[in-house]
Amino acid sequence: MNTYVVETRQLTKRYGEHAAVKNLSLNVERGEVFGFLGHNGAGKTTTIHMLTTLLKPTSGTALVCGKSVTEQSLEARRHIGYVPENVRLYDTMTARANLLFFARLSGVEYPDRRIDETLDFLECRDLAPRLVGSFSKGLRQRIGLAQAILHRPDVLFLDEPTSGLDPMGIKTLRDLIVRLNREFGTTIFMNTHLISEISRTCTSIGVLNQGELVFRDTIEKVTERYGSESSLEELYLSVTPVQAKGAA
Amino acid sequence: MRNLVQPVLTIAVKDIRDALKDRFIILMTAFLLLASLVALAVAAIALKVDVATYAEAKAGLIALGKDASTIPDPAFYPLKLLRGFVEHVEIIGAIIGILIGYRAAASERGRQTLALIVTRPISQWQFLAGKVLAGTAIISSGLILAFVIAGIAVIAISGIVLNPEDIGRLAIVMSAAGLYALAFFLLGFVTALWAKKLPNALLLAFTVWLSFVLIAPQIGDTLDPDNQVAGGVFKQLQIAKPQQVEILQSFSTYETIRNGIEVASPTKHFERLSFAVLGIKDTYAGQPLMPILAEKTSDMIWLLAIALALALLLFARRLDPNRLSKE
Repeated sequence: MNTYVVETRQLTKRYGEHAAVKNLSLNVERGEVFGFLGHNGAGKTTTIHMLTTLLKPTSGTALVCGKSVTEQSLEARRHIGYVPENVRLYDTMTARANLLFFARLSGVEYPDRRIDETLDFLECRDLAPRLVGSFSKGLRQRIGLAQAILHRPDVLFLDEPTSGLDPMGIKTLRDLIVRLNREFGTTIFMNTHLISEISRTCTSIGVLNQGELVFRDTIEKVTERYGSESSLEELYLSVTPVQAKGAA
Repeated sequence: MRNLVQPVLTIAVKDIRDALKDRFIILMTAFLLLASLVALAVAAIALKVDVATYAEAKAGLIALGKDASTIPDPAFYPLKLLRGFVEHVEIIGAIIGILIGYRAAASERGRQTLALIVTRPISQWQFLAGKVLAGTAIISSGLILAFVIAGIAVIAISGIVLNPEDIGRLAIVMSAAGLYALAFFLLGFVTALWAKKLPNALLLAFTVWLSFVLIAPQIGDTLDPDNQVAGGVFKQLQIAKPQQVEILQSFSTYETIRNGIEVASPTKHFERLSFAVLGIKDTYAGQPLMPILAEKTSDMIWLLAIALALALLLFARRLDPNRLSKE
């Protein structure tokens, strides 16, 4: 049985002359917490958009749980959960009403029960009757995470999940991601440009530089080879030379 | 089947609830109702002035010792009072349609919730059908409310209870109004879905509204010589029908262009149908319904065709979720 939850072959997205993602070939195994690292504009969000069927690739193939994101997009979506960088829900609706809406769209059989279970898992049942418009970014992110896992997807795509959160919010979200992976076995595909996030949460890492995959390994091997978090930073800077020089 | 319908209903119910909280749409609907009631009151005052003039003339003849029975009693058609109401539906109804359609797409684009919706296992047609269903329900509810209030106002003002045929006529015009407003809903929705920038969508939709609701019918009316003299130029000149036809043949190209401008406007089709069915246009006052409907079939087909063409346009083109989630 194929253990890859995400498989891409020569995946490319062009905007006119500019290639946002170039010939990306990448496999993510079931149960991994994969950290997709890169500078702003490296092509991470474009990759997530292609994998979540939001964006049509220019060329190449991408499979999610063995389903093509272009030819079998409906089937692929059944396996996907997606949390965008800025979670925007319906402000005039309560958290429960928002979740009910997305649960029904996802075809969840007993939506009320599933919402309660999900909110319990995320330790935020008390948010259910409150209007989403009154939420802080951290609470909004949590409900955003809830809407993405209601249908218990095989793979959860997170685009810069900790962006804009305070240190406490970052820690809470990080813990939830790890629990989600351990308790539900959900594969996590997480975009980030924070090295600290990768070292504390992920089991494997890929580095994207100017649309190209320049590094791919497990965190275990990286740590074995490079040691501490600061060494991971050095590794990152060494594989993304163009941006690093520009930043210097 | 349940899997096909449930996402459509889920999206529709959410949108209906959203619209009920939308103050601007509520305000516009209230304005339509108020404007309609004012139009009915003005029509009632005008009617009372006409009746008073008739009664005065009749009393004057009797005072002069003349036989007043030779003056026929003026025919009174209560549905004629709805002229102003129909005109308000033409203008404000179209605006409400555009706004509801625009809001249906803009609300998702503005909140960036579309990315969350289209990453669910639902087809594009289910998303669009949910939106159109909600729009149809919102428009229909508003129009039913407006027509019921207008009907009650007609009864209250005229003191005449509407008979089943009158109610049937109202129902036909209401259905046509629904189709008409739906066409503008689709216009607002399509432009808001496709435009790169949302404000451009609103600008485009209102340019179309201005051209086809206000300008085209006005040009058509202004170019119609029959509209330049009260009661009609031929009638005032006492020119018989065969001569009218002969004269008009000499202006056939002119008339084709004039009529073409009018026909391009869904507003004119709705107006022609409504004025005929309600007997607002003198030619049709007191005439039986079925021949009127037979004569006005083309206007009904035009309204249907415009709405269908916009719906086809909507469903045929693939959405670009990436663009829609970046607003």
